[in-house]
Amino acid sequence: MLWVDDYRPKTLDELHYHVHLSQRLKSLAASGDFPHMLFYGPSGAGKKTRIAATLNELFGSGVEKLKIDQRVFLTPSRKKLDVNVVQSNYHIELTPSEVGNYDRVVIQEILKEIAQTQQVDVSARHRFKVVIINEADSLSRDAQAALRRTMEKYMTNLRIILCVNSTSRLIAPIKSRCLLIRVAAPSQGDMLTVLNHVAKRAGAGSLPEDVADEIITDANGNMRKAILVFEAMKMQSPDLSSSPPIAKPDWETYCYKVADMIIQEQTPQRVMEVRAKLYELLSHCIPATIVLKTIADRVVQKVDESLKADIMHWAAIYENRMRLGNKKIYHLEAWVVKVMSLYKQFFLGIELGDFDDLI
Amino acid sequence: MAPAKKSAAKANAEPSKHNIMSFFGSAQSQGAATGSKTGNRSQSEVKPKATLTKVTKVESDDEQGGKATPKFNWAAAKAARLAGPSNPGSKAVPPAAVSDCLAGLSFVFTGELSSFSREESIDIAKRFCGRVVGQPSSKTDYVVLGDSAGPSKLAAIKKHNLKTLSEDEFLNLIATRKGPGNGKGLTEKEKKKRDKEEKAIRDSAKEMEAREKKAVRGEGSGVARGAKTIDPKMQLWTDRYAPQTLKEVCGNKGQVEKLQQWLNDWSGSLKANFKKPGKNGMNNFRGVMITGPPGIGKTTSAHLCAKLAGFTPIELNASDARSKKLVENSTNIQNTSLDGWMGGGEQTNAAGVVITDKSCLIMDEVDGMSAGDRGGVGALAALIRKTQVPIICIANDRSAPKMKPLVNGTFGLPFRKPDAAQIRSRIMTIVFKEKMQIPANVVDELITGVGSDIRQVLNMLSTWKLHNDTMDYEEGKMLAKANEKYSVLTPFNVIQKILGPYMFSATSRDTLSDKIELYFHDYSFVPLFIQENYLKTNPSRVRDLDGPRKALKQLKLMEKASESLSDGDLVDSLIHGPEQHWTLMPTHAVLSTVRPSSFLYGPGSGYGGPNAMTFPQWLGQNSKQNKLSRALGDVQIRMRLKVSGDKSEIRLSYLPAMFPLIVKPLMEQGSSAVDDVIQEMDDYYISREDWDTVVELGLGEQKDEVVLKKIATATKTALTRKYNSRDHPIPFHKAQDLGKVPKKLPGGPAPDLEEAFDLDDAVDDADDEKKAVDPDDIKLDRLIQDASKRKAAATKGKGAAKGKK
Repeated sequence: MLWVDDYRPKTLDELHYHVHLSQRLKSLAASGDFPHMLFYGPSGAGKKTRIAATLNELFGSGVEKLKIDQRVFLTPSRKKLDVNVVQSNYHIELTPSEVGNYDRVVIQEILKEIAQTQQVDVSARHRFKVVIINEADSLSRDAQAALRRTMEKYMTNLRIILCVNSTSRLIAPIKSRCLLIRVAAPSQGDMLTVLNHVAKRAGAGSLPEDVADEIITDANGNMRKAILVFEAMKMQSPDLSSSPPIAKPDWETYCYKVADMIIQEQTPQRVMEVRAKLYELLSHCIPATIVLKTIADRVVQKVDESLKADIMHWAAIYENRMRLGNKKIYHLEAWVVKVMSLYKQFFLGIELGDFDDLI
Repeated sequence: MAPAKKSAAKANAEPSKHNIMSFFGSAQSQGAATGSKTGNRSQSEVKPKATLTKVTKVESDDEQGGKATPKFNWAAAKAARLAGPSNPGSKAVPPAAVSDCLAGLSFVFTGELSSFSREESIDIAKRFCGRVVGQPSSKTDYVVLGDSAGPSKLAAIKKHNLKTLSEDEFLNLIATRKGPGNGKGLTEKEKKKRDKEEKAIRDSAKEMEAREKKAVRGEGSGVARGAKTIDPKMQLWTDRYAPQTLKEVCGNKGQVEKLQQWLNDWSGSLKANFKKPGKNGMNNFRGVMITGPPGIGKTTSAHLCAKLAGFTPIELNASDARSKKLVENSTNIQNTSLDGWMGGGEQTNAAGVVITDKSCLIMDEVDGMSAGDRGGVGALAALIRKTQVPIICIANDRSAPKMKPLVNGTFGLPFRKPDAAQIRSRIMTIVFKEKMQIPANVVDELITGVGSDIRQVLNMLSTWKLHNDTMDYEEGKMLAKANEKYSVLTPFNVIQKILGPYMFSATSRDTLSDKIELYFHDYSFVPLFIQENYLKTNPSRVRDLDGPRKALKQLKLMEKASESLSDGDLVDSLIHGPEQHWTLMPTHAVLSTVRPSSFLYGPGSGYGGPNAMTFPQWLGQNSKQNKLSRALGDVQIRMRLKVSGDKSEIRLSYLPAMFPLIVKPLMEQGSSAVDDVIQEMDDYYISREDWDTVVELGLGEQKDEVVLKKIATATKTALTRKYNSRDHPIPFHKAQDLGKVPKKLPGGPAPDLEEAFDLDDAVDDADDEKKAVDPDDIKLDRLIQDASKRKAAATKGKGAAKGKK
């Protein structure tokens, strides 16, 4: 098994960073009065690990006995929906965004079912069950609205833990009903501690400082990525002395290629070539936001200082539009054309001041 | 428009808001400008009976009016700024010397004239009896050259040494040419040709007359038994003038001859058991499928051919019930007709063909076999496989999914729309016979107006005849316009039109609504086609520039177009979102289709070449994404017990990390690595199918094609075999494997469509309920059943082994 999963901390005490947060969670779990919670923070910061550790604190090691249950629902238009539910005796975890537009009904259905059943296990430490809702930021507005009242009405039987990357897409009533817990990305020092800990546990010997630095910079606050990269490097050269180059994931290399294509040539033909590559990335399940971010980062590295702000500004605008719209490729392409146009204009040094009048 | 603006603006970031606003601003002003233009034009069209002099008078009014209104000048000035020196409506058509002054001349128009749009100039040429063709050839008399003419046409002009005219020279020609009206302007050859045509018309009219008389006499002598002869005057023109001989069929001669040949060879091919393909390769088939648009003589040709080949046609059309049972039972495919015997073998039908014991089945309107005729098409296909009589199926569209069962068993005979020239003489004959006076160019206008639908032309003429015997060009145009068929263009045609060079050119008379209308030909596909192809034109807006300025301006235009597409998608998400703002459709039309095209319109490379207009990739890519995303979901939920990440996290971090563990060893070490790989897979509950998913999700150097090439087939089979031979930990059972009853969800976003509720599902429902009755039944539990089966199989195997011993 990969190190990242093998050496995952199980209890709050084992966690290496954000010690204050761990203490707070610990006292919350001990108080018996446990609120609804909203965990937010970037990917790879340790949200789920922390949630699992909190549950462990609440209910004991019973929560580690997970089972997966697949529920089938039938929509009014007679489409079958599979919903995967991960659960232990004390908690249940769902990802309603799996079912797209039907998330509202699925959430209502499952939550009511849990809320209406009492905890059977008399030895359980708490009367309530915990429901973890993953990717809650991609819940539709309807589903979020459906959640509001449920959170108050069934407080006796159930607590909800929402897990999101950013709270911006959650409606205010939900936020106000939860205890907001920010799990920030670990600092460089935190990451170094964790990497050293992993190296020790894995028996991989000591981790040279320069290699660690490289890994940490590359991971950019994503602990999961850092450990995975570390292991990959270790596999490549077991002694780490030669400091092998960091193996970039396939999609990242691919995104860089696209960025280079944008810089090399700015023609309609090139836009269409870029479009083909973007399609390839999107169809292989790389989220459009990541694609845009990676390409933009790379483009910005290669262009003149004066263009950087503009390129990022437009990236932000089109990223927002991607979230509002349906077809990601339209917005990605619009951004690509925009960047090409900006770059060409800068490169040729022609200022077409009166240009807008011509159109 | 107000809510559109509001919502779009709400959804957008600051810059795009600005764009939308500015767009509407310009659209309105454009609309106003075109409005004033059309207003002037419609004056000239209001007077249907205007003689030639009147027409020209009105035209000159138009000119004056145009100059008088300051608004118009402003629009013209703007248009001139847009596309160089053009001033639409600035010139008038001069009074012609004679009404058919351009007769006998053929014209080719190329490039853009400064004052008339392409359509208008063609219209002018046709009004004065000129002939307009698309491509210049050696027979072309004049080429009218405008700005930025196509290079291929210029080459053809040089090659054939053709005379070219400028716009003014063209107008001058109209004003001065005496035309052939008095015979002076006609060469000897042309005269002969004309005389010959006229003679042919008179002859065939005479022949028709004679035939009718004969039919009436025939009724008197009572030869035609049963089939009553109807007085021709009482018949519809379409029946009365239906072709009686193969010669009279308009267009599709080759196809009709093929059909005739096939019917003539029928008895021979029946004897040869359809083994000899024959000249056309048709004699292998027991059935023929004629396809083509309505009104071009499919049914007529089928009946005619059958009669002429000595078959008695039996027609089943959409008015007959044609369900599976009826098709199987009520058709006479064993050829047991008593028709010939009853008549004593000497009878003839109306067309004078001897009735025999041979019959021919004509299945008309096969694509009309629908809801009521369930299984009809399938039964028909089965019928064709064993029939003893020829079967002719007639449909409008061979590629329709409904026709699939028939396509393989039948020989396809596609009928094309005949062009005006092919129909003209036939119509002229009928006109002559009916003693109407309609010039040839008017007949042409009628034919092209209704898209070569002969039936409709005849119907139009027969109604016109009720109150009038003559028709001039304007009247013909009006009549054709009134009977215009609103054919739905395919998305390919739509983008050819809207991205083409004329729709947005300065001389174009198309209004904003005309352009929006194009989107509504197929509102779900056209935007996709635009997005796919908008970069494939040579934009007309940059044709005057060159070098870096051109490149830069083109990029600017692309930028605007792509931004508009992006806006369009935002509107689209409002339309198809939970609130379903369908009223935003026109806004979507403008943003997704009209506006992008308005920037990048220009000549493209059509269907050929590297930049050919293509079908949108989005559909394929989207379904691929959905498929892979579902597969990734399966992988994620299996790994879930060990891994906390969500789907995208699995793709972004875990797959690249696991690639060296479960795929790379197979590439580098081959079969020896299989055991380790399976071990790694089991750690994460990854199944053999998930392994495929992992490979399929790779990109670049880890793309599935590249990777699979490097894994030997033997290695792959070793992996499969070893994986299947072992037991593996399973995180969970799929709900469908456990036979779980799906829970019905109440409400939810149900689509607002009747079709979404498929009738077939009712059966499914009953099935589900049955399952629900006994959920405890052990037999329904797949797992238990599997176990007992395996046991049974094992004991069986033992038993067999014992038996052998």
